[in-house]
Amino acid sequence: MTMAQALFYLMAFIALASALFVAASKSLVRSVFMFFVTLMALAGLYVLALADFIAITQIVIYIGGILVLILFAFMLSGRETLANLQQQDNRFISIGKLPALLLAVVFFMVMINILFKTDVNHLLWLSKAIAHKNVFSPSDATVSNIGINLMTRYLLPFEAMSILLMMALIGAAHLSRKEKKA
Amino acid sequence: MIPLSDFLIVSAGLFCTGLYIILSKHNAIQILIGIELMLNAAVLNLVAFGKFDRLNNGGQLFALFAIVLAAATTAVALAIILNVYKKYKTIDPGKIDELRD
Amino acid sequence: MENFLQAIDTLTIRFALAAVLLPLFAFVINICLPGKSNKAAGWVSTLAVLVSCALSVFVFSRAWNQHQVHQGQLWFTIGNIKLSAGILLNNLSVLMLLLVSLIALPVHIYSTAYMNNDENYKRYFTYLSFFCFSMLALVVVDSLVLFYIFWELVGFSSYLLIGFWFTRPKAILANKKAFIMNRIGDVGLLTAIIIIYVVFRTFDIEQLFGANALVRSTAFQVPGGWQYVACGGIFLAVAAKSAQFPLHTWLPDAMEGPTSVSALIHAATMVAAGVFLLARVYPIFDSQELVVLAVIGCFTAFMAATIALTQNDLKRILAYSTISQLGFMIMAMGIGAYASSLFHLATHAFFKCLLFLVAGIVIHQVQHIKDEYQLDIDPQNILYMGGLRKKMPLTFIACLIGGLALVGLPLTSGYLSKDGILIQSFEWAEGKSWLFKLIPIGALITSWLTAFYVARLIVKVFFGEFRLMQFNPHIKLHISDGAWQYRLTLLFLAICCLFPLFSLHPVLYEHAWVFSGFSRITGLDRVNIYHTIIPAGVNIFSILVIYWAYAVYVRQKALPFPESGLLFKLSYQEWYVDKFYNRFIVMPVMTLSKTAQWIDRNIIDGFIHLLQRTGILLSKIAEWTDRYIVDGLLHLIADLVLGIGNFARNFQGGKVQYYLFSMLAIILAIFLFKILI
Repeated sequence: MTMAQALFYLMAFIALASALFVAASKSLVRSVFMFFVTLMALAGLYVLALADFIAITQIVIYIGGILVLILFAFMLSGRETLANLQQQDNRFISIGKLPALLLAVVFFMVMINILFKTDVNHLLWLSKAIAHKNVFSPSDATVSNIGINLMTRYLLPFEAMSILLMMALIGAAHLSRKEKKA
Repeated sequence: MIPLSDFLIVSAGLFCTGLYIILSKHNAIQILIGIELMLNAAVLNLVAFGKFDRLNNGGQLFALFAIVLAAATTAVALAIILNVYKKYKTIDPGKIDELRD
Repeated sequence: MENFLQAIDTLTIRFALAAVLLPLFAFVINICLPGKSNKAAGWVSTLAVLVSCALSVFVFSRAWNQHQVHQGQLWFTIGNIKLSAGILLNNLSVLMLLLVSLIALPVHIYSTAYMNNDENYKRYFTYLSFFCFSMLALVVVDSLVLFYIFWELVGFSSYLLIGFWFTRPKAILANKKAFIMNRIGDVGLLTAIIIIYVVFRTFDIEQLFGANALVRSTAFQVPGGWQYVACGGIFLAVAAKSAQFPLHTWLPDAMEGPTSVSALIHAATMVAAGVFLLARVYPIFDSQELVVLAVIGCFTAFMAATIALTQNDLKRILAYSTISQLGFMIMAMGIGAYASSLFHLATHAFFKCLLFLVAGIVIHQVQHIKDEYQLDIDPQNILYMGGLRKKMPLTFIACLIGGLALVGLPLTSGYLSKDGILIQSFEWAEGKSWLFKLIPIGALITSWLTAFYVARLIVKVFFGEFRLMQFNPHIKLHISDGAWQYRLTLLFLAICCLFPLFSLHPVLYEHAWVFSGFSRITGLDRVNIYHTIIPAGVNIFSILVIYWAYAVYVRQKALPFPESGLLFKLSYQEWYVDKFYNRFIVMPVMTLSKTAQWIDRNIIDGFIHLLQRTGILLSKIAEWTDRYIVDGLLHLIADLVLGIGNFARNFQGGKVQYYLFSMLAIILAIFLFKILI
């Protein structure tokens, strides 16, 4: 077992365990912080999938942006909101949650089943990519290539994304402003 | 070398956990977290497959787009949640049913 | 001359009509008067009768012993039957007209005082006026149909007046009894009228029974037994109205009415209607039927006299004496003493009315004593009275005159009429078998019995000591003759009971103008010895009897009959006629009607109830079917639709997570489907 594999399983375990903890946690704040752990573990997994730029982006946007935004949102809304938010039944398994759990488990089994049926490791296009040496190797520098592709091949999605982002920002700002007395 | 199927299994597990959170929680913020979890599972898939596209970087770039979109979604969703709370004094989506007959 | 006569006749007719209709006007006015005891009612009725009386006197003076006046006009036509309504004035009707109004006048005056304290004063005079109208109309009408109508009205108003105090159960029983008895007679009369019409095709009284009586003519012959049926019907009518055996029992009971009513109706006028009817239809009877009449009359007279001997109720004694005297009249009709019968009717009306009014005053006074001292006595019982002679001298004298007239002692009107009957009855029996002799002998005994009970009555009431004081010594008597209305009427009637009103000759009945008005015998032919022997014998013996009674009841001599004896009981129980009727007629009828009622209630009603229950049951079943099967089907459909709707609605609960769950479940299902197949 190589070092990379060991790290992968560690990261995978951490990610899954922390995700389950998020699902099971009674405290909202704790689950948010545990979600932070999940995201970090996922960033690790991205690195192990040879996507270091994505991993950095993950850390910057998710952890630096989204999580902070979430925390910021309900820290801003005061004690009462917090108390209200935490006042709920958070047991992991209860009668009300049983159907959801069942569904999730069955879904998982179906996915695994499909995974094994399709035999993902020996897909046709994967074999072709390996044959054409179109595969990342751990020593590759990826960032420059991503930059070139972003500005050439994927320029239209990039521009669309930027407009969408701007719309989202304006929308969020509009929604969260204090309403004047209409 | 880490087999692709392992990534996909982890991704499936995260996805199902997210699914469970969305279905079972009575708190809009937790549901939002569940959605993020599912998005991340998808991103993980993209990244895992993106390993086999060195020239075009399709998987990684769409993972990037997905992350950015998730950020935007979260911002808007949080704004909506806060407004809903102001109006209904609850953020349980099961109880926000005023459009019902 | 002819025209002049007709004009005079027309006036007479109009006056007679006015005399008849005035009480009717009084009746109508009284109905409209306000208040229960409006004193104006008395004056209205009395005034009407007063004017009526004056008109009657005028009419009488015009028509008595003149040619008869008969006017009428067409009333209505049914097919080819023409019915006329009119007035027939001959000796008989004008005499009755005068008599009725003349008796009614003092009774009205008397009543204004007698009923003064009654709370239904107005109703009393209303009824009284109605009665007077009916009776006056009865005597003057010319058609049998009208006669029947007024005959019924007389019976009806009598019913009203007997039951005047309708809160007393006895009065109700009495007026029911009177009504039913009268109905029996009415049926008889109606039968007779129908038979007469069928045979003679007319209702006109004058044509039928007048001078050239159709019933006597040979052109018409009543077929077979119908003659007897018709006469039997008339006899029933007479027996019911004039209280002859066997229909006499209502009259004593009718004494439940006010005493003034008894005086007017049950002594003087209504009961005379029977005799009047006989006089009207007299030609229809043949000799055999007349014998039956005589026998019945004589028997009734004798029976009633014996009953009167032992009764203790003042008014009952007088009632039985009335029956007895009516029996005399019927008997007189039967033996052919037509004139004497009517003469006796006239005289009897006055003295019996007088006696009843006297009784009324006495009862009134005793009633006052009873009310004042709260005594538990019957105010009509003569055993409690006595010695009233000193307290009420005028009443005593009046009673004495009336009583003597009833006994038929000389110088009174009763002597004239009664001795006439007796003499004629002996004449009638002359030359016939001994059985026929029983009738005059019975009449003779009856007149002696009359002397005895009259003496007993007067002695018990007016002589001796006031017996109520012997039981209750603390009573203070302050009784007197009473108000001027009493004195006036008693005086008037007492004078009418004396001979000069009827005959200037005190002992010879043939001289009496009433007698000569009807008698076909002209001139005096005292054909036999009876005319001397009988009056003398009767009167001497009567005086002896009166003295005997005086001795028994004042001097306390031994009673002629022991009180426990069979004869006494027979008399006291009124010959058991009422008991017999109760046992053999009333009881079976009651039983029959109870049976009928039982059948009606349990069988006929039961059947109807069964039908009803079946109907209800059927409708309940129908209702059940309708509710649970027909409606149930509709409800089932409706519920089904509702259920489906609600089921579909559940998916639209507004819960976002639920939607998501459903969506995922479906996706999962598709996946599983794909995988497994």
